[in-house]
Amino acid sequence: MKQPSISSAPSTAIEKIVAFIDTRVGLKEIQAKMLNEPVPGGSRWAYVFGSILLFIFAMQALTGALLMFYYVPTTDHAYASTQYIIHEVDYGWFLLGYHFWGSSAMVVCVIAHMSQVFLWGAYKPPRELLWLVGLALFGIVIGFGFTGYLLPWDQRAYWATTVGVEMVDKVPLLGDFLARFLKGGPTPGQMTLSRFFVIHVMILPAALMALAGLHLFLFRVAAPAGPFTGTPEEIKAKTDYFFPRQIWKDIVGMAAVFATICSLAFWEPVVLLEEATPDPGEYHPEPEWYFLFYFQLLRLKIFAGEFGQFLGAVALPVLFMILLIALPFFDKDPERNIFKRPIALISWIVLMAVMVVFTVSAVINREFLD
Amino acid sequence: MQQPKLKSKVRCTDRDIGEVTKVVLDPLSHEISHIVVSMNGSGERQVAMGHVLAVLDDLVELRAPSSDIAALPPFKRDDYVTTHEVEISHLEDNLHVMPGEVLVPFPALEKDVKRRTFFMNFTHVIGFLIGLPMAYPILRFLMKPMYMPFDNDWFKVGNVSKIKQDDIGVQFQYKKTVKEVYMPESEVEKSVWILKASPEVLDKVYQGKDQEFRDASGRVIWTNKKDFPYIAFSGKCPHLGCAFKWRQHKTLGQVFLCPCHLSIYDAAGKVLDGPAPRALDALPIRISANGEVEIVDMEFKAGVKNQIRII
Repeated sequence: MKQPSISSAPSTAIEKIVAFIDTRVGLKEIQAKMLNEPVPGGSRWAYVFGSILLFIFAMQALTGALLMFYYVPTTDHAYASTQYIIHEVDYGWFLLGYHFWGSSAMVVCVIAHMSQVFLWGAYKPPRELLWLVGLALFGIVIGFGFTGYLLPWDQRAYWATTVGVEMVDKVPLLGDFLARFLKGGPTPGQMTLSRFFVIHVMILPAALMALAGLHLFLFRVAAPAGPFTGTPEEIKAKTDYFFPRQIWKDIVGMAAVFATICSLAFWEPVVLLEEATPDPGEYHPEPEWYFLFYFQLLRLKIFAGEFGQFLGAVALPVLFMILLIALPFFDKDPERNIFKRPIALISWIVLMAVMVVFTVSAVINREFLD
Repeated sequence: MQQPKLKSKVRCTDRDIGEVTKVVLDPLSHEISHIVVSMNGSGERQVAMGHVLAVLDDLVELRAPSSDIAALPPFKRDDYVTTHEVEISHLEDNLHVMPGEVLVPFPALEKDVKRRTFFMNFTHVIGFLIGLPMAYPILRFLMKPMYMPFDNDWFKVGNVSKIKQDDIGVQFQYKKTVKEVYMPESEVEKSVWILKASPEVLDKVYQGKDQEFRDASGRVIWTNKKDFPYIAFSGKCPHLGCAFKWRQHKTLGQVFLCPCHLSIYDAAGKVLDGPAPRALDALPIRISANGEVEIVDMEFKAGVKNQIRII
């Protein structure tokens, strides 16, 4: 079959090089397949978060690799090398700030992406595997946040890790083993820093790249779900390809995220606290802002005592993840319109409200501590 | 109705008008929506499947006369991309327009191979046998630093003259030299809360019994006498391991308060409020003749009802 749209006689040197590669690897066909993906019902701003997450990850990988040129993952040098990056290395404050705020952007966009998929009913059959791999990616992003937080080795880092690992300790039977395994000992120290470093810069990036590839593959196999309203004729009439309208929206979204992260890095630069030590002094330990709601939740009376702690630190998050994993398997109703799925809509609103209310109350609580 | 095949003849109500040169697919429904007809060399026409009356093995019958089809606008190739240039999932599952199967001969050596399943399973077994001897060494490799012997040495943390009042928590900050495996020796700052207890508080802490402390083998290494008036509390909150403070509380008076999850303890270390599962951990304490306070820097597992020593 002739394909006049992709074969024309090469004239310039660059066209000749492209033609040379194209005849060997079918470059143009691959490119055409990448770009010509029908988006049912047409492109939307709501669909930008997946591409934005890929962009944020690429930037985290770039800035993270650069930070490793100076960072030393040992308890006697981690703090000093991070301070050196911030105060001495040209643009070190910027690249570290970008990496720091990039991690927050990652969490925000993951929540937005998952919310969109949930509200659109896009996790429903036949997209169960896509949803499951997405949940694994969500876990990896949380893992990135938790392990990366320790690396600057300041008081904030030390205490967030101390408390976080104690939560792992509350797993029945295996908890003590798991917590020691993570810490590499009974208390946080060099072994913990080494472990978190390897997990943060080797294991999680490899896992994320593999699973993000799988996620994209499954997405392409299953095809986009499209809007949750409209007849097939209406959807077909509005359908366009991934390129150019959706890519345009994606790149605008990426630019907005990039500008936001740069601004935060510039106006809210990373400032380290005192070097980590088992006495926090006047510092009141607190996790990163996106974990604040959970931190506040654990202050509740129902999570008091040995059993309460198991409930709060282990049972609640595990049950929540199990619920998300099981979601496409018990919610088989093909109805995707969120306004005809009252339980789903109310659950999502309640969850978001709980996160907001508990985050705000954690912030309000701060002033009563001094 | 079966799908029209490429190269099939196309017959109108009056006569044959050519053959199927292309088919057009709906990208969302995956159904063939149009056929493209050659018109016996006088330009191509795009004919909607609605015009098709029947599809036979190598013939497509239309329900319109040839003049109607000839009157359709010419087919515009530029409005379409080929299936190679577009990403449509499960395309092959829905499309049967090829004029026949495309085959590749099976290599001669493969033709009579028996036991294919055996070879497949054998490959898996060998792979498993390669992985198996790695599993235990990897686990032991990673477990190396997890369990350490307890440190039963006494540390000087400051002078008892720092304490002026009974039943008031006083923080003693001290530097401890640590040597972690291959790392150079380094100093970390730690803290312990010491109070001079009134008889009532002492009774609440010890409940009339001396408190024994043991090493890893269960041997008693020290006993805090129930009438010894100084008490040392480990600086680690028994809830999730944060560090608590001595604070004035609105209704409870002076208390130990952990800023992390708001556990509150009285001067005897008993839980007054908050999520903590047990009282503060008293440590072995002794005071030398010149007033130097010494402790054994034990740590206990956070978040459990009973004291379980980890350092």
